Amino acid sequence: MSDASTAIEAVLEKRRGQLASRVATVEEAVTALVSGDLDEELRADAERDAHKLAGSLGMFGLPRGSELAAELERALGLMGGPNALEAPRMAELVLDLQGQLRQKPVVEPAPAGCNPEVPSAPAVLFASPDPDLTDRLTVAALGSDLRPRTAVTCTGARRMIESELPDAAVLDINFAEAESESLDLLADLTGREPPVPVLVLTASEALVDRVEVARRGGSSFVQRTRPAAEVIDAVREQIERAGPSQAKILAVDDDPVILEAVGALLGPAGFEVISLEDPHRFWEQLTMAAPELLLLDLDMPQVSGLDLCRSVRADPQFAQLPIVFLSAYSDASNVEAMFEAGADDYVSKPIIGPELSMRVGNRLDRVRAYRDLAEKDHLTGIGSRRGSSAKLEDLLARADRLAQPFSLSRIDLDRFARFNQNLGEATGDSALRGLGDLLAQTFRGEDVVCRWGDDEFVVGAYGMTADDGVQRVAEVLERFRHERYGNRAGGAESLSFSAGVAEYPRDAHALQQLHLAAGVALDEAKTRGGDRVLPASAAAGAAPSQADIVVVDDDDLLAGVLIDSLHTRGYQTLRFRDGREAVDALSGVAPRVSPALILLDVDLPGLDGLSVLRQLAQDGVLDRTRVIMLTAHAGEAEIVESLELGAIDHVSKPFSVPVLIQRVRRALKR
Amino acid sequence: MPHRHILLIDDEDDIREVASISLEAVGEWRVSAASGGRDGIAQAIAGQPEVILCDVMMPGIDGPATVGLLKDDPRTAGIPVILLTARVQSTDHLGFDLLDVIGVIPKPFDPMALSGQVEALFEAAQESGTTS
Repeated sequence: MSDASTAIEAVLEKRRGQLASRVATVEEAVTALVSGDLDEELRADAERDAHKLAGSLGMFGLPRGSELAAELERALGLMGGPNALEAPRMAELVLDLQGQLRQKPVVEPAPAGCNPEVPSAPAVLFASPDPDLTDRLTVAALGSDLRPRTAVTCTGARRMIESELPDAAVLDINFAEAESESLDLLADLTGREPPVPVLVLTASEALVDRVEVARRGGSSFVQRTRPAAEVIDAVREQIERAGPSQAKILAVDDDPVILEAVGALLGPAGFEVISLEDPHRFWEQLTMAAPELLLLDLDMPQVSGLDLCRSVRADPQFAQLPIVFLSAYSDASNVEAMFEAGADDYVSKPIIGPELSMRVGNRLDRVRAYRDLAEKDHLTGIGSRRGSSAKLEDLLARADRLAQPFSLSRIDLDRFARFNQNLGEATGDSALRGLGDLLAQTFRGEDVVCRWGDDEFVVGAYGMTADDGVQRVAEVLERFRHERYGNRAGGAESLSFSAGVAEYPRDAHALQQLHLAAGVALDEAKTRGGDRVLPASAAAGAAPSQADIVVVDDDDLLAGVLIDSLHTRGYQTLRFRDGREAVDALSGVAPRVSPALILLDVDLPGLDGLSVLRQLAQDGVLDRTRVIMLTAHAGEAEIVESLELGAIDHVSKPFSVPVLIQRVRRALKR
Repeated sequence: MPHRHILLIDDEDDIREVASISLEAVGEWRVSAASGGRDGIAQAIAGQPEVILCDVMMPGIDGPATVGLLKDDPRTAGIPVILLTARVQSTDHLGFDLLDVIGVIPKPFDPMALSGQVEALFEAAQESGTTS
């Protein structure tokens, strides 16, 4: 209840000026009436403003004000205009009204039982075709002060959403036969303003296309088999992340009464107050609580607030912490001393109503605005290294807690120094901005995209494997290398970058180690000529002369495009134009190359594709190497034969590169 | 119990703000707000609130006109409406009797009691079956 009263008082504070100007209009009209020159326009304005005052003052806890305003409204609205004889009484009413407006409002809670207050627990929608699962989640949610809603079909879930938009949702994406429908449901929830946080339950790694889920705004994955309590914890975390953050405030005062009052005033306004009575425990509390704002009493018996303030300002870790003083003495010398010690603001005791929460709120708003500036990279507008490190740690910690992958990508421009030399730094800057934009567009909102240093960018993505990360970054590279950046002199060049992607927990566990692992991959990408993205796993086991993928195709244009896309994604390739040549290199007692995958065209000079495949099968090459057939006009019989011979897949020409890349990834995973 | 949805139509910012706080914090309503009759009707059609709280004196389409339009539209005709008025003449209520509203709440309202008043009118109307 006190929540509402505080909020209403805050509205009153905000509106005081407006209310006062309405009273001023009424006063003006009454003054004009006294001097006998009240015109109709002013009278009508005054009547309307008196009406508004009558309708609102009582609501703000000023019922007498409403009565006075109603009286004035009646007098101003009398038939034929207000009577001049009434003027003196009206003037008195105005004075009285002005006095009311200076009053402290009385917003009393209604008598108990009149409005039963229901605790406003967040509503969570559980949508899964498995009623056992929703049951378990419901029980866990009830024990955790959440209001569970369940649906076992997508239609049911939609009905739920229509009747009440939940604060969060847990969505089982494997709705039988209705995956696309459940993906639409996901998109609907995450597309709301503000978006509803959605936790996606996955049956197993293989069954969910994370890219599809991510495209629809889903960000968090939890395996269905995790205990219900863990899922609920994740939901709570999502709700907290989505909601306005509660600022933590450390209040230091030797008077417990004041501390209690501070808690009572700031708590309902959405602040978390940590009270400290004993200033000797100050540093211990400060480091432990890591508050966003410090509230200090000026006059404490043993240690003065001024001393504490100075010591905080002297510590580099807390030098920027906003400090607000509470003081019973607001004379000039005291105020000067507070500001000299490093205070940001002060509030006089006795603390009156909303003043404290407003000052604290203002101070925090300003600090947050500055911090936003510091956390953003000035050039590119994406995150700065300083602002992003903690966020990366957060994502990593979350991945650890929920047993999810996390990928860290390091991206570094190729030959950027030369580019700057040729075209000037201003052009270099616009290229950096361009790449920052592309990264921000391509990655998801909750991924951390930042400029780490000169021409290095870092992206952290929760729930994304290194393999997924490589695809995303490769998409960025394919777009970026087609951009041309020019200077005023008419020169223009395009740029490329190299990138390395490491994955938690596969490649490393700590952020620093992931950064190193991604760095090793990045270096390897540079060594291989740049303009490509490598997963850390590929860099670690790199045997430089070895090819991952052999392309056997005589069509130069197509093979060129294909090899380019494979290089971009960090694969090493070797190409043969001729079937005979390919067999010679791939089979025999000591084959020259032993790739993981062969992309084999059917129509080849020398020896056709099916014959090549037959030969490879015979020589036992297919035991260690997978083959995808590329078929142009192949009939069903040819395709069946190639699959029977041991090819694991076929792709018909003309194919789109993304489709082929998808097949390549799948083939290499098997 | 899901939050019930109430639409608030009032041209005054401070009334909208306080009534929203009051209905949300005290009464657990989900509140959407419109600053005039036209906007209010559009929101009523789109949002299908359980109940509408509508100010009487508004510029443009005023409260009684808004009620008339809401009742004429089959999409909103079934939504119960409560009027909010600062009219000083008690006889003004007589005019409202002719309108299809389930009640009138005088301004200034008590923010702590507003949601209780709305609930009482809403429940009484549901019991008497006027809204079904």
